[in-house]
Amino acid sequence: MCSWKEKLWEGVKLYEESIGSSLMKEYMLKELKNGKRVDGRSFYEMREIEVRPGSYTKSCGEAWLSLGGTKVLVGVSADIGEPFPDTPEKGVMVSNVELLPLASPSFEPGPPDENSIELARIVDRALRSSKYVDLDKLVIVPGKLVYLLFLDMYVLDHKGNLADALTLATVIALAKSKIPKVSLSSDGTPAVMNEQISVPVSDPVMNFTFVKIGDYILLDPNLDEEIASDAMITMAIDGQGRICSIQLRKGFFRDVEIKKMYEIAREKRKELMSVLEEVLRVGQETA
Amino acid sequence: MNRSEVYVKDREIVIPGQKIAKGMTPGDNVYIDKEGFLRSALLGLASLEGNKVDVIPLASAYIPKVNDLVVGKIEKISGGTILVDINSPFTAVIVPPRNNKLGLEVGDVILAKVKAFDGMSSPLLTLEFEGLGKISGCVLLEIDPAKVPRVIGRRGSMLNILSSKTGSEILVAQNGFVVVKPRDHRSLMAIMRALEVIQEESHISGLSDRISKLLDTILAGGS
Amino acid sequence: MLYVERRPEKLIDENGLRTDGRRPREMRPIKMEVGVLDRADGSALVEWGGNRILAAIFGPREVHPKHMALPDRALVRVRYNMAPFSTPERRKPGPDRRSIELSKVIRNALEQAIFVEKYPGAAIDIFVEVLRSDAGTRVAGITAASLALAEAGIAMRGLVAACSIGKIGDVIVVDPGHDEDMWGDADMPIAVMFEDRVITLLQMDGPMDESQFNEALSLGMSCCELVYELQKEALRRPFVFVERKVVGGGQTV
Repeated sequence: MCSWKEKLWEGVKLYEESIGSSLMKEYMLKELKNGKRVDGRSFYEMREIEVRPGSYTKSCGEAWLSLGGTKVLVGVSADIGEPFPDTPEKGVMVSNVELLPLASPSFEPGPPDENSIELARIVDRALRSSKYVDLDKLVIVPGKLVYLLFLDMYVLDHKGNLADALTLATVIALAKSKIPKVSLSSDGTPAVMNEQISVPVSDPVMNFTFVKIGDYILLDPNLDEEIASDAMITMAIDGQGRICSIQLRKGFFRDVEIKKMYEIAREKRKELMSVLEEVLRVGQETA
Repeated sequence: MNRSEVYVKDREIVIPGQKIAKGMTPGDNVYIDKEGFLRSALLGLASLEGNKVDVIPLASAYIPKVNDLVVGKIEKISGGTILVDINSPFTAVIVPPRNNKLGLEVGDVILAKVKAFDGMSSPLLTLEFEGLGKISGCVLLEIDPAKVPRVIGRRGSMLNILSSKTGSEILVAQNGFVVVKPRDHRSLMAIMRALEVIQEESHISGLSDRISKLLDTILAGGS
Repeated sequence: MLYVERRPEKLIDENGLRTDGRRPREMRPIKMEVGVLDRADGSALVEWGGNRILAAIFGPREVHPKHMALPDRALVRVRYNMAPFSTPERRKPGPDRRSIELSKVIRNALEQAIFVEKYPGAAIDIFVEVLRSDAGTRVAGITAASLALAEAGIAMRGLVAACSIGKIGDVIVVDPGHDEDMWGDADMPIAVMFEDRVITLLQMDGPMDESQFNEALSLGMSCCELVYELQKEALRRPFVFVERKVVGGGQTV
């Protein structure tokens, strides 16, 4: 309830100060020296991931996901249209993030600002460079007609680390997406069939966000850790353990730190895969 | 002869607009409708004491009262006036005594007392008492201001349990902040969990015993 | 382009059943959950038929920009917004003219219940997000927002409950569904503040004669009363340590 309205990432200032943040950081550092995070987690431990059962949108595929209290809702909508001129034989995928004003006192209504745009591009880059969605398979008439996939990412409740939550929710939503099949009728006009096809996806890509507080590197920052952080970085790992996209969000890191984080992220992806497989399996059953 | 009627039990959960009584004295968060019925203005607990009816809010913002102890953060200093954010729709003000610098800067967190408040403009804070002023080296926890009385307890009994069991210094401000100097990490975790439970179960009797047991469990290594 | 709506042959069949199998005075199933979000001061999720409406409150809090603050009362602001994925055909994000109109009438519906004089200089910000749309989003939104306001501890004269009444041919129907909203002959959303039973939202689209209107008005108030009963339960539930969701609706008025 207590907040000062300061813009996200303006200069070196933090996007939202809770009244205790300076005291909290002092205390956090004391605890980190003893190897502890204030919420009891170990340095590279992620918070609990929950996917809410039920249908909350009219999209082709959706996921309402909670990462330790951060709640996001992603919906995939489909349409058909012209491809981008520079990729005439690929389907179109567009990402959009809405930082809803109800998710945090520091979010104001209005057109996307640099933070929602950065988040959208972080998720998009992870999906694209990992080729999670096979855009080549979303072509109807090369050069003329392709499927358009709109990934709308709603942030409902900000308790830290939006990037990882949004990426995970988007991956799940795409895996569950069923779009209407479109074929060409004899006169060349597109006809929507009664059949549905799954969006073609491969090995899930996952984003891992680290923060640095003092000399300590932590995975999956909660809200207080994000506010107190001196530096923050997000990296995406694909099914083959390759690093496919990186975004240094704030501050600076040493090269040895970055290599170490890549190692940790690779390990964590394996752990997370079993969580994800369970979620997708349950999703199939209730579909 | 004043005939009074009561439609709810003491400590019953009432919703906004609910009829509570007739012919009794309205207290906090109670309004009188056109037909003379006393109705709740909030989601809360009905409190019936003698002839008076109050509703204790289950959750609400902090509205300052004179003599309240508050934790605030210095927002702005201009001319002779210091603006303080006290987590309230009202921004508070300190007017430092002439020729007597308080040594405060923007961003400082302070403990102060509400000296004056007329219900409309900025509440006036004072630092003139022992123990007031800038605070540092502590942990600040935020609770629902409406639950402050429960955290303090009758004659400070609940606060005493929290502080003695965990060997930590604890201070509760009326505007929903708890200032803690924890003995160690586990004590802080115990206090945080206890505060959660106090707020969630504030309306169930036997809370002191439950909190006592909870603290014992956490301090011994459980959760 | 991928989704084409076709008007059903009959909106009411020979047995008097509507396209979704309901009778004229039957409401759709309703679920209400209070306190779904952590950051907002108050929040509620209402599932009404196929609708999924999330309402959240921040307030009382400081008004930004400061010059908009009112000296003697709270400034109540409402933002009604439909998510891009709330309809099968994707909607462009951002407010359109309809959203702006709805924000205004929803504001009035709720403001009448709030003791605004208790919070001079402050803002009470109400957000209604339509995640999934299935006819009657504004009335579900008002219903959810009332719950969120109560959870946030905003002082109110009472809860506001809302519903819609429709007309198919000459038959007055309760709680129009998607088909009836698209192809029916009249739609009347109504909101009532309890316990005073005063109407704080009333709109009409489509002609009704006097007897039809009287029937619609009386049915509207009865349905709002049913919704109010569910709201009361939803607010009390979390404190009885039973599951936080309240399931109801499907009743016949």
